[in-house]
Amino acid sequence: MNDMVQTQTKAEKSRAVIEVDGVDFCYGTARALKDIDLTVRAQEILAFIGPSGCGKSTLLRCFNRMNDLVHGAKVTKGTIHVNGAEIHSPEVDPVELRRRVGMVFQKSNPFPRSIYENVAYGPRLSGVIEEREMDGIVEKALRESALWDEVKDRLHESAFGLSGGQQQRLCIARAIAVKPEILLMDEPCSALDPIATAKVEELILELRREFTIVIVTHNMQQATRVSDKTAFFYLGELVEFGSTSAIFSNPKKPETEDYISGRFG
Amino acid sequence: MHPDSPHIIREFDEAISFLRREVIAMAGQTRLNLERAIQALLERDIDRCKIVIADDSEVDDLQRSIDSTGMDILVRFHPVASDLRLVISSMKVAANLERISDHAVNIAKRAKKMAKRSELSYVKLIEPVYAVADKILRDAVAAYTDRNISLGASLKERDKELDRLHKNVIATLSAQLEEGGERGEDLLHLIFVARSLERTGDLSVNIGEDAVFLGSAQDIRYDRKLAAEIDDEDGADG
Repeated sequence: MNDMVQTQTKAEKSRAVIEVDGVDFCYGTARALKDIDLTVRAQEILAFIGPSGCGKSTLLRCFNRMNDLVHGAKVTKGTIHVNGAEIHSPEVDPVELRRRVGMVFQKSNPFPRSIYENVAYGPRLSGVIEEREMDGIVEKALRESALWDEVKDRLHESAFGLSGGQQQRLCIARAIAVKPEILLMDEPCSALDPIATAKVEELILELRREFTIVIVTHNMQQATRVSDKTAFFYLGELVEFGSTSAIFSNPKKPETEDYISGRFG
Repeated sequence: MHPDSPHIIREFDEAISFLRREVIAMAGQTRLNLERAIQALLERDIDRCKIVIADDSEVDDLQRSIDSTGMDILVRFHPVASDLRLVISSMKVAANLERISDHAVNIAKRAKKMAKRSELSYVKLIEPVYAVADKILRDAVAAYTDRNISLGASLKERDKELDRLHKNVIATLSAQLEEGGERGEDLLHLIFVARSLERTGDLSVNIGEDAVFLGSAQDIRYDRKLAAEIDDEDGADG
């Protein structure tokens, strides 16, 4: 019986959650991504690394169609499937897609409201109106983001009273309160001090139990600490994709080795 | 372009070059110690024995310096990929060289004791054992400095020749020892000298394995099949 449960878990883990197939992406006439093929599997933490302008954030923002909000920017070739559905097909509602594919940004951006309201905002939009149910959702999200003990006595105070690291964890709580399947993180620790960074990294590793996570980072050590797999991008191309330990101990492509070891000209 | 292309931080390249130079210097000193110990044994030269014993502290100092430089590079620069493998393998190579130098000291100490007594013809048995051990050590160091994985992987097989030679010498010396006589103590010294040379071969094989790890990230320790495959593949490629 135990064996069967384990086998099922493994099968579940290997399920493809995001499938990128031959994707080109353009900002107007400028091609930012070139023929990208990539599969993200369930409960996997994938790190995107590469120099500025290599296309890693652009690809991340494709996964929940955040790029739709940029004038003239679009996928010009290829397909992106999230849990089997092509995200550009007419039946996919971008707002619903963004609920399923949550996002945490480089700078923490809490709403100018209370801690409680920041977390309750998403579930309320999704139709939760009953107070006790909402209290439960808020507490669960704050516990999962390792913030509950620090804020439980001041839930109705302004979110701006929190430290930078706490604000970023609040943004993670806000993102997971609507029960997404995938969490996208765009340099979530770049504005944090080392202790706050460590807390967010610990949180990321905890969250992998429930979510599939894709993180863009410029911090190589962060990629090695938190991710299972790493994708290295350069000039809009996916140069190398593999297990993080293999990429950082024995990369196959000289471009990858040059970049991760600081030899990029 | 890696690993010869320059790092963005020049100090990193300088630290890595320094580390490599230290390992090469340590390898040179270790080989010299071993060579002098054997010369001292064959030529019954007590002064040379003393030099070997004194020079071992230089090898110890180099090992400490290599470990400290390696730690410093790890702490300051967080190297990855082949840079990380170079730091780790350099520290491991240094540990193996230090033990080889200790064997040279053991040989020198025994040579010193033997030199106080009359010449023993069986000493000549040691020379061919040393010749093979030194060749394996030389190639192990070359495999590390040149990142030559096929050379590194080939040493395990070549060490077997050394093992055979060692076994034959031990058999001859043991037979003589069983016959009795006044030179029992010196025969025992020679058995331990042969044993030190055989251990030098084993430690050189370790260095060869470190060189394979440095060049290809493969861990061939305890894996004869993999070592043979690397040896064959590169041999076939010429």
